[in-house]
Amino acid sequence: MDLRAGDSWGMLACLCTVLWQVPAVPALNRTGDPGPGPSIQKTYDLTRYLEHQLRSLAGTYLNYLGPPFNEPDFNPPRLGVETLPKATVNLEVWRSLNDKLRLTQNYEAYSHLLCYLRGLNRQAATAELRRSLAHFCTSLQGLLGSIAGVMAALGYPLPQPLPGTEPTWAPGPAHSDFLQKMDDFWLLKELQTWLWRSAKDFNRLKKKMQPPATAVTLHLEARGF
Amino acid sequence: MDDYHVTADDIFWKISRATVSRDQYTVINRTSSSVTFLNIPLINVLLTCNIRMFGQINRSVYGIRIISGLPPEKPENLSCIVNEEKKMMCQWDLGRETHLETNYTLKSEWATEKFEDCKAKRDTPTSCTVNYPPVYFVNIEVWVEAENALGKVASDHINFDPIDKVKFNPPHILSVNNSKELSSILKLTWSDSRFRSFITLKYDIQYRTKDASTWNQVPPEDTSSTRSSFTVQDLKPFTEYVFRIRCMKEDGKGFWSDWSEEASGITYEDRPSKAPSFWYKIEPSHAHGTRSVQLKWKTLPPFEANGKILDYEVTLTRWKSRLQNYTVQDTKLTVNLTNDRYVATLTARNTVGRSDASVLTIPAWDFQATHPVTDLKAFPKDNVLWVEWTAPSEPVNRYILEWCVLSDKSPCIPDWQQEDGTVHRTYLRGNLVESKCYLITVTPVYADGPGSPEHIKAYLKQAAPSKGPTVRTKKVGKNEAVLEWDQLPVDVQNGFIRNYTIFYRTVIGNETAVNVDSSHTEYTLSSLTSDTLYMVRMAAYTDEGGKDGPEFTFTTPKFAQGEIEAIVVPVCLAFLLTTLLGVLFCFNKRDLIKKHIWPNVPDPSKSHIAQWSPHTPPRHFNSKDQMYPDGNFTDVSVVEIEANDKKPFPEDLKSLDLFKKEKVNTEGHSSGIGGSSCMSSSRPSISSSDENESAQNTSSTVQYSTVVHSGYRHQVPSVQVFSRSESTQPLLDSEERPEDLQLVDNVDGSDGILPRQRYFKQNCSQHETSPDISHFERSQQVSSVNEEDFVRLKQQQISDHISQPYGSGKMKMFQEVPAVDAFGPGIEGQVERFETVGMEAVVDEGMPKSYLPQTVRRGGYMPQ
Repeated sequence: MDLRAGDSWGMLACLCTVLWQVPAVPALNRTGDPGPGPSIQKTYDLTRYLEHQLRSLAGTYLNYLGPPFNEPDFNPPRLGVETLPKATVNLEVWRSLNDKLRLTQNYEAYSHLLCYLRGLNRQAATAELRRSLAHFCTSLQGLLGSIAGVMAALGYPLPQPLPGTEPTWAPGPAHSDFLQKMDDFWLLKELQTWLWRSAKDFNRLKKKMQPPATAVTLHLEARGF
Repeated sequence: MDDYHVTADDIFWKISRATVSRDQYTVINRTSSSVTFLNIPLINVLLTCNIRMFGQINRSVYGIRIISGLPPEKPENLSCIVNEEKKMMCQWDLGRETHLETNYTLKSEWATEKFEDCKAKRDTPTSCTVNYPPVYFVNIEVWVEAENALGKVASDHINFDPIDKVKFNPPHILSVNNSKELSSILKLTWSDSRFRSFITLKYDIQYRTKDASTWNQVPPEDTSSTRSSFTVQDLKPFTEYVFRIRCMKEDGKGFWSDWSEEASGITYEDRPSKAPSFWYKIEPSHAHGTRSVQLKWKTLPPFEANGKILDYEVTLTRWKSRLQNYTVQDTKLTVNLTNDRYVATLTARNTVGRSDASVLTIPAWDFQATHPVTDLKAFPKDNVLWVEWTAPSEPVNRYILEWCVLSDKSPCIPDWQQEDGTVHRTYLRGNLVESKCYLITVTPVYADGPGSPEHIKAYLKQAAPSKGPTVRTKKVGKNEAVLEWDQLPVDVQNGFIRNYTIFYRTVIGNETAVNVDSSHTEYTLSSLTSDTLYMVRMAAYTDEGGKDGPEFTFTTPKFAQGEIEAIVVPVCLAFLLTTLLGVLFCFNKRDLIKKHIWPNVPDPSKSHIAQWSPHTPPRHFNSKDQMYPDGNFTDVSVVEIEANDKKPFPEDLKSLDLFKKEKVNTEGHSSGIGGSSCMSSSRPSISSSDENESAQNTSSTVQYSTVVHSGYRHQVPSVQVFSRSESTQPLLDSEERPEDLQLVDNVDGSDGILPRQRYFKQNCSQHETSPDISHFERSQQVSSVNEEDFVRLKQQQISDHISQPYGSGKMKMFQEVPAVDAFGPGIEGQVERFETVGMEAVVDEGMPKSYLPQTVRRGGYMPQ
């Protein structure tokens, strides 16, 4: 995970904001303690739902940004967005990660991405877009809570926020408008990649954690027929 | 308080202007009082503190408004629903009424974040829709808080994932496609919720044929996973089906979506599944030896046609040799067949194939149909007309049911249907109309041809007749009336006429109703009052009601027919009989009556009684006597007298006959005359008892004296007349009659003379009718004399009538005549004797002139 804290004050601020809330996370799932299975499944579903949601949101937002960002084959170089957590990772590396690391990386990544997204929200011009972004932010915050819940269920500690960071959005050094849009483009793209990756992560985790649950499901299906 | 010089005891409390009982007061100190309410009934009341000054002046010191209510109850049954693409809405139950302004707030939160509160609107305090879009797959905790001035209470918290409360948007059916390979399937394709990519959905598919109202359900287990198409099987070929679909989360959490919009598709065609119904009708044909046969068949219903029928193929076979082949698009075919037996087959064809063949045997022309169905019944049930029958003993291939509307206005155009040979109960599959009479015919069809048809009439639904029967009188009697009416035409019956009711009444009387069986067309009303106006009308009833016909009025006569005749005829007959009897009686007793009605009354004015003395012999005899002395005058005198009588009186026999007739007509006169003449002629014998002896001596004398007697006797009762004439002698003389009778009897011995007697009786002195001319002339004389004396004698006769014994007088008259006839021939001697007497009379009287004409006539008599 290439999280380069400190590159951006804003990112740190966001991270701090998220981490500040972490102590409440274990209480997220209050329906007794059925094990981590259901929450892993729910988190998996949520990532897929967010992925689906982001697809329409990104389409709208890229249209808002205008060409060339809304062109399907637009694939600019990743410039000036080093602060964004990078989802792409070598398959070997990914396989070598353990559950705790994966969850931690997911958590930290979404914490950062959420902060950026909120900044995006403030810049959005239209009310409709702002509403969509706000809703997505809320959903993403839900995902963070879900991940925290899973981690708590699995007994992993949450990553601690870096001290001294402000929990407010601080715009970075002044970009040109195009470069700003490029940042936005990459934010959405990275977010999408992360959601794909998270889906994969949680699917793997789900399969790993739910053999008994699967057995029960199969049993129920057999009875149903 | 001190200013008013009052203490706490002078404080009293009022609530809504009513003083509160002192039991509720508590005096705290000298200047303080409190009041306690255990139960305030009113929600909004005014409480005032008052004082009483100087023992009589009340004054309000202070007042407060008390608003009472209840703290809110804990809201129950909190539940939430998330309509896809909409925001979450939750609802709950309020509990009891608080009477106070109470706010309900829906609160929701994640573990990490609180959401915006949702305040229920005043008008919908039991539900609230949150302001933020739901975040699925993250559990949310929701509860309601109710709060008013008296308290605050929260409902139980519910924790759920909004995805488990979702009601998805209904799927959208994209297409319904059929398959050429399988005519029994349709494939349904749809698009549905965007959630389908990350959650599992299950579906509910329903379908029905286009015209059906109930839906068929695709088994839920076949659609329990996310999918976008489904193939429905076991459908009918060439049938339009309508589909609809809904979805929900596969695990059953959440809510079923609404039904999708309906979409329809038609299954592919298949070959006709059944042979068409096939029947025939033989139409009259003029050509000898052939028959015009109309073959007819029914179009297959869509579920049997399984496609669009392109045409029909008909083959006709005679004696198993293929004869003719027709391809027809219509549903009938008219062919000319010989009188032989034929077998016709029919197949229907669509784009896929042919149906099985319907086989119909058309029997030879001399075929005798037998074996009809039995117990044929028809009845309406469930809005259709059912027909039921008992199958004949023979095996039946199929049944043909034909029916048509019976009407006087239109001909019977039959519709028909075919049933399998195993069926013996079916309903008529036609557009039947209510209130119409259907004539239903059931014909069993055997292998060798049709059996005998059976008929029955039925109604799909009866109604009251649309017109009532028109009643009229056939015959009206004094106390009864025969009513008659025509059967209602079938077009207005609207049902089976079960009975009639006749209503009749007088103008003032109550109506009387009489029920009459429907088979009658005539009814006799009895016990009617005569000479009364009756109003009668008639209603015909079916099972469903009745209808009155027009009112008819008639008046009963005063008398029964023949009653008048019965009275009048007997009365007339009785009258006639009485009259007849009377006439007969009168006829029989005419003489007696004559005496009473026309008695011979001698005219007193001409009475010569005064001259009645032995010296004045009767004038008649005088005239008679004169015949001899004055024979020369006779002829002349006769003419003169007849002139007086206004009757020409020729001498010849014919004219005499006429005269006789005249005499007959004036019988009374003649009798009177006779009487008078007799009297006058008999006078001599009457006048003296001495003359009786002379009468006995000669028959001629007896004769005249007798005649005179009868006339004379009439005078007997008229004593007054007699007394006036101062001569009673002649009247008394009548007692001597019997002697005369005897005398006559003695003299008269022969019966053969009787007819003459009779004649004489009638005409008294008309003995001139005798063939003997001499007789005639004599009578003529007598009659003429009689006529002359008639008036004179009339009064005498009347009185005589009264006094004289009837029989004796008559007897004398009878006897006199034979005496005349019998002794006619030898009369001369007697006459001579008379003459002498007569001579004396003429001389004595001294009135020969007045009697001259008579004398002359006598003179005419003289030649005898």
